[in-house]
This record gives sequence, structure tokens and C-alpha cells, in this order.
Amino acid sequence: MDNKGPVQKTVVLEPFIKLVRLVARAFYDDYTTKSDNQQKTARSDNRGIAVVVLDELTRKQWVREEDLAKELKLHAKQLRKIIRHFEEQNLIMRDHRKETAKGAKMYSVAVAATTGGRAEDKVKFHTHSYCCLNYPQIYDIVRYKLHRMKKKLKDELEDKNTVQEYGCPNCQRKYNALDALRLISMEDDAFHCENCNSELVVECNKLTSEEVADGDDNARRRRREKLRDMLQKLEVQIKPLMDQINRVKDLPVPDFGSLIAWEARAAIAARENGELNPNDPLRSQGGYGSTPMPFLGETKVEVNLGEGKEDVTAKGGDSSLKVLPPWMIKQGMNLTEEQRGEMRQEAKVEDVGSSKLSDDKKSAMESGDAKDMLKDEYFKAYYAALIQQQQELAQKQRQEESGGEVVAPDMELASTSSERQVGMKSKREEEEDEWEEEPPVAVAGNGNYKVDLNVEAAEASGGEEEEEEDIDWEEG
Amino acid sequence: MFFHIVLERNMQLHPRFFGRNLRENLVSKLMKDVEGTCSGRHGFVVAITGIESVGKGLIRDGTAFVTFPVKYQCVVFRPFKGEILEAVVTLVNKMGFFAEAGPVQIFVSKHLIPDDMEFQAGDMPNYTTSDGSVKIQKECEVRLKIIGTRVDATEIFCVGTIKDDFLGVINDPAAAA
Repeated sequence: MDNKGPVQKTVVLEPFIKLVRLVARAFYDDYTTKSDNQQKTARSDNRGIAVVVLDELTRKQWVREEDLAKELKLHAKQLRKIIRHFEEQNLIMRDHRKETAKGAKMYSVAVAATTGGRAEDKVKFHTHSYCCLNYPQIYDIVRYKLHRMKKKLKDELEDKNTVQEYGCPNCQRKYNALDALRLISMEDDAFHCENCNSELVVECNKLTSEEVADGDDNARRRRREKLRDMLQKLEVQIKPLMDQINRVKDLPVPDFGSLIAWEARAAIAARENGELNPNDPLRSQGGYGSTPMPFLGETKVEVNLGEGKEDVTAKGGDSSLKVLPPWMIKQGMNLTEEQRGEMRQEAKVEDVGSSKLSDDKKSAMESGDAKDMLKDEYFKAYYAALIQQQQELAQKQRQEESGGEVVAPDMELASTSSERQVGMKSKREEEEDEWEEEPPVAVAGNGNYKVDLNVEAAEASGGEEEEEEDIDWEEG
Repeated sequence: MFFHIVLERNMQLHPRFFGRNLRENLVSKLMKDVEGTCSGRHGFVVAITGIESVGKGLIRDGTAFVTFPVKYQCVVFRPFKGEILEAVVTLVNKMGFFAEAGPVQIFVSKHLIPDDMEFQAGDMPNYTTSDGSVKIQKECEVRLKIIGTRVDATEIFCVGTIKDDFLGVINDPAAAA
């Protein structure tokens, strides 16, 4: 049977399957669904059933438990018990869902895609359980299990870090060495129970419990020998398992993900392989993979448009800006706005210092910010205006700047189109939605432009560009 | 392990101490109250080394006692699991022996005493090696390792082991005498 579905192309499943099989034989071969008080007859002896179930699961990915039961010729209840046990052992993951026609379809498609098999088509639409081996977890769990086993034996062998326990033979109350101070009695050396005042005996919940722990030297030595023997045996017995774990260590772990994700992936993979499945649910109802595609196409057009224009205005834009990750967008935007603000101020200072003409221009520009309609009047008025007035307005302008940052996307558009006329903007506003959906490009554009602007501002100190920029700003 | 830390305590002072020596009285009362106590969080307060600050007193309604928030530096002793301590044996019995390291009591159970040491009952119960070269009895000093601590609100109790390299009797006054 083909274990590698089309989903896992790079991940090799075989070593992990072998690991699971070894684990099954090492730890679960005497697992029985019967509780201990039930009499075991030869007929009802179902030891090894857990191994069978695990083996079967290695051949599947996600599988409906009902189907699994049918394949193994097991009673569903019996199987569920075993599966629950494995779930508690963290070997498998389960998923329960209320079955719908769509879900069943998804599942059967996924099964067909991954195993080439065929899932039961007619399913009753009630809650179904699915299960799957959880390979990443199995790896960890097995290592942990082995570690604990070895540690327990070693600790016992060396009597290391073990707090001695005491028990009362009368009332079965348990104490440990940390209670010693309360237990010691004045009359004799022994520890006495707080309840019934009977003498406590040393508890021995050890593996070699048949021997009394406070026995003589001989008993102790025998116990140690036995422990050492056990440890050695353990080492030998788990060696193949350890080997397999070491082999698996550096391999990528196969992870099927949750049931839903697995189904989606399987369906997509099936389509990619050209297996045109007539009852592919993705095809008919636009499932997981289909929606983003048209969206991407649209934005791509948008991107080209933006970049083309950018190239006209800004030469040699820093390409590193364009690959901003999406979660950086907001920050990046703010940053650029801030930087622009700073640069503007610098330019202003220069203006004040250098020439009166530029001063006037500057002030005119600010008037444009305040009231677009009265631009010309302000031009004239500010020709005569004093520097003080201008500074007042500059403050006002700065406030507006900070306010404008809130309406970021719009403003971006405005500032991007430096050479474009105002009329141009209306067109761009139509596309605003797409712009917002693809912000990295917008930011990059903004950043590019900003760099350019600053250079110009520094050189020409308030040239024509700035004036136009301010007009746009006001609209933003 | 010892730590030098700053602790805070609200001291209630009787009005009869109000006077020139208020501060001295406050400090001496603080020492009397705090030194030698044990808190589960910080361990045993061994000594107060200095007063950081004495806050504003607040007169309690009805009693005329005044509460001062006092910040003080002190040395605390808190045993930790895995720590090596030197302790004096205080009691030996067939279950093991008890030892004291300053204010902290440590119990070493029999199975954490090296296997070659045997309990000898009698007038002076002790653990002795078969050749008699090492003897653990009352008053002798042992070096031990703490393997477990029980920290209550007002008490710390430890379980130790001498079953490790370089642990065991380090000085026996009875043998030396």
C-alpha cells in the first residue's frame, strides 16, 4: 500500500511507521480491553489487538473510526475503547464532527487522494469520529516514556533522590520522610502514626516489592542485583526502539494537521495531480484554495500600475522596502510619515534662515493647507506677513499633519501622486479598496516617494513639488 | 543558602515608648520580633543588619498603639534541594538520624545512609561501618545533601542524604576526645 500520499512529498513516512510498530509491540502488546477483575478465557483473550489497531493506523492518515472498525472486523465499541486508550497515551489525535454531506464528500475525496482507496460513500449523517496517528507527538511521547522508565530504575538502583515513605499498618495512612519530625515519638526510636499511634513500617512501592525493604543486608543486595538485572534487560529490549528513535531524530516529522486541514490539502493535491474528481467539493463550492486566486490576480494588476508610476517619479527606489512583511505595514507607514514631518521642519528652518522669497513660498503653501479655495488671497497676504505669523501657522500645519496620519491610506494615495494632478486622484480613489488589500506595495511606494521628496526638499528648499504636495495633503 | 535582603514589617509600638528613644525602641523590638523567625517564603531570619527606613506612624483607633512601617535589611537562611550543608547530628534511631544546620532540621533516612553502615542500638545509638572506622552518633558533624524540603508558613524541614561522594562524617568530637 502506498503510504506516502501526495501531501507529503518531502517527508519520509517509513521510519516513523516503523517506530510506531516497534512502540506498539514494545508497550501495547499485552494491552487488553478487559478489566482485571474479569475472568480471562482463552476465547476472550484479545491481547495484541492494540498492536493490530496501531499497525492499521500506520497505513492510513485520517480515518473514520467506523471504517476502521469495519476493516479490522472489530466491534465499534471495542475499537473505540482502544482508540480512547491511545488518545490518553497521546499517540493519536481524534476529531469528532457532525457529519454533513459536504464533510463526508471532503473526507472521501481526501481518502481517495492520499491512499488511492475508496471511502465508504453512504454514510449516515450523524456525529462521526476520526482518528489519526500524531507522529510529532508520538516521537516525543516515546522518548519521554523511555526516559521515565530508565530514570525510575536508575533512581531505585542508586537510592538516589528518593524520599523514603512510611505507612501505617493499621490505618493505611501514608507518610514520608518529610513528616519525620512529627512522627518521632519520645518513648522509643520508631515512628508512630499520628492517628492510631501504631508503629510505622517502611513502605516499599518499588518494583521489587516482594522483598521487605528494611530486611537484612542479604535482601538488600539481592534487590540491587535484581534491579541491575532489570535495567540491563530493559536496555537490551528497548535497543531497537532507541535505534529507531535516533534514526528518526533528524528527519522531518510527518504531520497531517487537523482533519479539516488534511482534507483541504488532500483535495488540493488531488487537483494538482490532475485527477479531476467529479465530486471534488472545492470545485463546486469554492472551498479553501479557490478564493484567493482571483484576488491575487487583481492585486497583481494594481501592483504593476503602482510600480510603473513610481519609476517615473522616483528613480532607483530602495527595493528592500518592498518586501515589508504585512504585520509591519502600520508601523512602516507611521514611520514614513514621521520622517517626512521631520524633514519638512528642517527645510523650514532653512527657509527662514536663507531667503525671504522661500519664506513667502512656504507660507503660501501653508495657506493652501488651511484653505484651498482662498489660496491666491493667502498668497498675497503672506507676502507681507511676518515670520512670527508664519510660525504660528507652521504649528497649525504640524497639528494637521499629525491629524492627517490617522487617515493614512487616503493620504498615501495623495502623496504618492506628486506629479499627478488632483483629477488623477479621483480615479485612484476608486481603486482604494484594492490598495488597502495590498498594502505592502503602497507602503513601498510611499517610502520610495518619500526618499525622493526629501532629497528635493533639501536641494530646492521648498520648490514647486512641495507646494503640490501640500495641496494633496490638504485633500488627505 | 544565605541571602541579604530587604524586608518590610509593620511594627506596633506602645505609646510608653514614645520619646527620645523611640527609634531605638522600635529597632530593638523589631529584632526581638523578627530574628529567629521563619517564613516559608524567605526562610529563617538570621540577623537584622540595618534599618532602611521607618515610615510615618499611624495611630490605631481605640488602642493608641502606633504602627510604623519599617524596612530593614536582614540575613536570611533558606535551604534548597540539592544544597550541601554541614550539620550536627542530634538524634539517631533505627529509621535514620536527625541533624541540625543552624535553625533547620534535617532527617536522613536509613536507606540514604551508605549501605555498609549498620545501626547499632544501645546506650549511644549509632551507625557504624563494618570495620568501625566511621561512626555516626549524636553530636558528630556530618556533611549532607538536601534532597527534599518541606516549606510551611512557619517551618522548614529537610530530608537529606549522605549516600554520595564526599558526604558523611566530617568531624567526630566523641572520637577525638
